[in-house]
Amino acid sequence: MKRISVEHAQPGQILAQKLQRSDGVLLAGQGSEVTEGLLRMLTRMNIDSIVIEEENKQTPEELEETFQNRCAELEGRFARVTGLPLMAALKAALIDRARRERDEALAAILPAAEEGAAQ
Amino acid sequence: MTTTGLNDRVAAKREVRRIKNLPTVPGIVAKISRLVENPETSAAEVGRLITQDQVLSAKVLRMANSAFFGMSRKISSIAQALMILGFDVVKGLVLTSSVFDMIQKSMAGLWEHSIGCAAASGAVATALGRDDAEEILVAGLLHDLGKVVLALNMPEEMDLIKSKVESDNVLFYEAETAVMDFHHGEIGQWLAEHWNLPESLAEPMRLHHNPERAMVQPECTAIVHIADSIIRGWGFGYAGDPWVPPISPAAWEMLKLKGKDLPEILNILEPKLANLSELTQSGS
Ligand SMILES: [Fe+2]
Ligand SMILES: [Fe+2]
Repeated sequence: MKRISVEHAQPGQILAQKLQRSDGVLLAGQGSEVTEGLLRMLTRMNIDSIVIEEENKQTPEELEETFQNRCAELEGRFARVTGLPLMAALKAALIDRARRERDEALAAILPAAEEGAAQ
Repeated sequence: MTTTGLNDRVAAKREVRRIKNLPTVPGIVAKISRLVENPETSAAEVGRLITQDQVLSAKVLRMANSAFFGMSRKISSIAQALMILGFDVVKGLVLTSSVFDMIQKSMAGLWEHSIGCAAASGAVATALGRDDAEEILVAGLLHDLGKVVLALNMPEEMDLIKSKVESDNVLFYEAETAVMDFHHGEIGQWLAEHWNLPESLAEPMRLHHNPERAMVQPECTAIVHIADSIIRGWGFGYAGDPWVPPISPAAWEMLKLKGKDLPEILNILEPKLANLSELTQSGS
């Protein structure tokens, strides 16, 4: 997920977090799609940024490569604390997160890939 | 030469540095502290004082409305921030906002490390079910202020430390100790004394690398210590070396944390970090 300015928002993007008015009234739920109407409303209400799901243009191979790179970086950062159980647990939790992100991104692009293959 | 002689010299050197090189407390923070010493001061008076500086107020409000605190309603005035977040937290935000430029100038990535450690401190405190997560978060924001003073006021030592980090593959505070016989924790402590900061900020500043020595705020110090390692492990920001500092098992056990708490802490942290990008762009 990432925060972007309303100016740069595009219809079709997915909200990664719900949008609320300053008094707490819900404007759009998490997971809902950004529409022209929503963007006009936000501009009118002086809300200047939203949090969207990051679009994934990576192929499965690239996603795997990103994951492997993140693991290698983690190994590098943790190189001085190998053998400490607590630090091994922290590293494992961070690797799990990276793996889950890869798997979620894979799941999101797979339907599209199948459609492509059917044509 | 006797050991005592050497210790004396080191102590004398510290004393000199301490007097010569510490930056002055930001004017507004001194004024707030004076105001608050008077028990009759109202929140409204403190609010008025902060509001006089519009740039500062805007920075404070931006932090108050950031993912740090996850407010569902927008905080639109300093008075409201004082009411919702409390005096100590707002004072911490004023302090952070007034030293923002210093932090930015001192070391590329240190501001990101500071807000990342703040968010991680808040996440650990939340996972522990504590109701003072906001206060602990502010301690996380300011924990490495000693590095800022080091970078800006002791450039020769800073150069030696940087090259030691690179040549010896050691942590920043290990290189500091090798070069100066003390590290940014102690510089932070001098600064905290000089600026009259409360122990809830001073002790984490001094002991976040030696949490088992904390006497006054052991839990807050332990949380900031653990948050520091978590954010370094995450790879958010830069704090002077490429390594994750080890978590003290004593600090971990004192807080009664378990291995299974780690994924939960990371889950709380992730959306906060994603949102904090708004605090990393354009400072002023
Ligand atoms: Fe530190
Ligand atoms: Fe740190």
